[in-house]
Amino acid sequence: MNRKSTKTIFTLLLASSMLIAGCGGNSNNAANNTTPNNTGNTPAATNSADDTALDTSPFTISFFGADASPNWNKMQDDVGKAITEKTGVTLEAEFDVGSGGGDQKIAMMAASGDVPDLIFAKGSLSKLVDAGLIVDMTELIDKHAPNLKKVYGENMNRLKYSLDDQAIYQIPTNMGVGQQSFDATGGFEIQHRVLKELGYPEVKTLADYEKVLKDYVALHPETDGQPTIPLTLNADDWKIMITVTNPAFIATGAPDDGEYYVDPETFEAKLHYKRPEEKEYFRWLNGMYAQGLLDKDTFVQKDDQYKAKVASGRVLGLISQEWEYSDGENALKAAGKDEYTYAHFPVTLSDEYKDHSFMQTGIDGYGLAITTAAKDPVRIIKWLDWMSSDEGQVLRTWGIEGKHYTVTDGKREVNPEVRDGLANDTANTQKETGIGQYLIFGARYGDGVKDPTGNYYTTSFPDQIVASYSAAEKESLAGYKATTWKDLFPKEDEFPVKETGALYNMPVPTDGKYQVTFSKTQDIIRKRIPEAILSKPADFDKVYDAFLAELDKAGAQEMEKEFTELVKKRVSLWTGKSL
Amino acid sequence: MIVKALTENGVTANESVTPRPPAKRNSGFWKSVVQQKYLYLMSLPFVIWVFIFSYVPIWGWLMAFQNYKPVKSFSEQKWVGLDNFKELFQDERFYLVLRNTLAMSMLGLIFGFVVPILFAVMLNELRGNIFKRTVQTISYLPHFVSWVVVGGIVYKTLAIDGGIVNDLLLWMNVIDEPIQFMSKGKYFWGVLTAADIWKETGWNAIIYLAAITGIDKELYEAAKVDGAGRVKQMFNITLPGIRTTVMVLLIMNIGHLVGIGFEKQFQLQNNLVTDYSEVLDLYALKYGIQISRFSYGTAISMFTSVVSVILLFTANGLMKKFAKESIM
Repeated sequence: MNRKSTKTIFTLLLASSMLIAGCGGNSNNAANNTTPNNTGNTPAATNSADDTALDTSPFTISFFGADASPNWNKMQDDVGKAITEKTGVTLEAEFDVGSGGGDQKIAMMAASGDVPDLIFAKGSLSKLVDAGLIVDMTELIDKHAPNLKKVYGENMNRLKYSLDDQAIYQIPTNMGVGQQSFDATGGFEIQHRVLKELGYPEVKTLADYEKVLKDYVALHPETDGQPTIPLTLNADDWKIMITVTNPAFIATGAPDDGEYYVDPETFEAKLHYKRPEEKEYFRWLNGMYAQGLLDKDTFVQKDDQYKAKVASGRVLGLISQEWEYSDGENALKAAGKDEYTYAHFPVTLSDEYKDHSFMQTGIDGYGLAITTAAKDPVRIIKWLDWMSSDEGQVLRTWGIEGKHYTVTDGKREVNPEVRDGLANDTANTQKETGIGQYLIFGARYGDGVKDPTGNYYTTSFPDQIVASYSAAEKESLAGYKATTWKDLFPKEDEFPVKETGALYNMPVPTDGKYQVTFSKTQDIIRKRIPEAILSKPADFDKVYDAFLAELDKAGAQEMEKEFTELVKKRVSLWTGKSL
Repeated sequence: MIVKALTENGVTANESVTPRPPAKRNSGFWKSVVQQKYLYLMSLPFVIWVFIFSYVPIWGWLMAFQNYKPVKSFSEQKWVGLDNFKELFQDERFYLVLRNTLAMSMLGLIFGFVVPILFAVMLNELRGNIFKRTVQTISYLPHFVSWVVVGGIVYKTLAIDGGIVNDLLLWMNVIDEPIQFMSKGKYFWGVLTAADIWKETGWNAIIYLAAITGIDKELYEAAKVDGAGRVKQMFNITLPGIRTTVMVLLIMNIGHLVGIGFEKQFQLQNNLVTDYSEVLDLYALKYGIQISRFSYGTAISMFTSVVSVILLFTANGLMKKFAKESIM
């Protein structure tokens, strides 16, 4: 009896497991039977008589952000609570995880039509626009958003999507209007302890940079008992662009246009790898690897391993942007190891090139878009407008008066403990106060712009920047006779404002051959660039030339032509020039 | 369909002593339905589940012959004939990912069978009940660990500075300098298979252990009386006893050779090994869904399904002929 029931159970178990295993096989990857309910792109105008009055009844906005936001505290932080109290709005936010980017998640949204009310879609916006899921905000802004109009002012033209589709699908919120940078956060990084011991050597060219790392590692082959790593890069997924491929144009005097280099006169675009000077940059990395100065794990390690290495303090040099490695650096700050944090230098291939980091692009960023899923787009735009008001902006960047900042004689000042917390215990302070967590939720002025009270809108202004430097940082700066890192870099006024904006933001066609070719070239780049760097120095030319030939074989030239056309259209939309 | 086949299989197994004459087969079938109505009722939910999730979506295959745009309704879509398939079969990358898919699934098939069966048989030979259960529990725990975490563990274990595998090999003087396991394409298939074995052996052994439980204990006692040792018992009773289970699972898994998913590859790959790590599903994601080419993605998935069905029937036919075991 017992045996028989065991057998029955077993048969059933087998039957069900096989069903699950056997017949789940043909699941289609594409969620193919969903048709998004496209209710049209223009929301009905409201009948409300008073269009600017703020409704403060409880209201929930669902949101997806394409960037990870690890310190998001579900609006239970001080600033979040204040926002809910003043506007009635609660965000039901979801952010992409890990190295983020949102590509996969948003691709699924575009396929299924299942979108949140509000979305920060970054480079994937055009997918949603093409799927008819994004609302044109032109009329909404015109009727309900005086503050947004005020902040964007003469830049309204730049908010338009394209020459053929002049709708406003997103309001750029990841950058401040009128932004003047007071500090450099990119370039080539070297630890303060290295600079101090070597007596603040000149770091202008790749050769200088290489010599500094080489000299120091010869003196100190070990850091805290572990081998010292002279230079490491993060090649995990899209971050390969930030630390491996973008520095190629940064070090050779070209502005950031994503994967392209665009001639400022003719607007002809080509993949930036095709510039002969960039080949020399990669040759330099190849040399660094051959000499054992470039970390052997560079192209294998994952994002978290890279951050852990930075946090261990044994990496002498980085080639990156501060936001990219800040998680690791913050851990060093929290541990009080300031001498292991990094200084920034505008390193170039040779003296004839100028670092273009501070070339101004004008307003051109990623931002917020309202989707067709939003039941009350007017309420959302009004909320965004409030967030973009002077009150909202100060709340987002400064926090709450009395709690996070004080006003003495009309001058706003961040409380010392908050400033200290944000600099040295960033994660916890951000979770608690919410300062810096709501920057993308509304238009804002950039650093260096003053509000009607005569105070800066943001907390970074020259004094504040200097005040947040650690002792080690100040010491290094003094060694180079500078007050901020920016003093070492070529200034904004040395370059004309870019007529093309930041071209990595430019929407590109989402279907047809362009995307396929772009994906193919990306595959080739991400495979061959590491290969070229890791190859024997004697083989470098061969590998690199084969790489360029492979790009063209995959159709790069046609893709570049298509991109050139788009650039020209964009310039004529923004400037009125006919090209 | 499969449920029917199985229950019939079960029926024949139970009633194998009294074979029915073939002429009465039809009425015999209905008779058994009435007799076993509870079994049929219990399988009904699964039949419905299969129908909804596996058969209904098939109409979406039509997308493969269109230039599908999410916004338009079905009738507005543009029909393009076999264009998507032509493009697929002309892409060199497709053959590369097909090779990778087949290579990794073959490895998975071989090791995914041999190791769990061996493990189950060995586990069955253990005497101490507590020890046996502890080992079994520990061995199947990794099954519940997500591939994201496993990916991290694999990378840490195989790292060149401080990775335990390299440290161990260095210490044993097997190698002179650390091996970069994750940067060499030729190691990737091996690393992935090893990680898969670590993760799934315990779990996969459960079904074999269950099958072993179903073997009549009297057979072992009789064998003991006849003087068969433990090894002999293993080869003459245990292994033949689970033969049916092994065969059934083998056929099902052969049907899955091309549809192995992409989770493990996605977590373990890096830029240096993509020529060895990219599989069909990853290719469908990258060149289909991610760049909004839903039709192309559907064409790939359709190819996978059709090949799976062909493989399933071939395997089933071959097994029927040569091993006298089949699932249909």
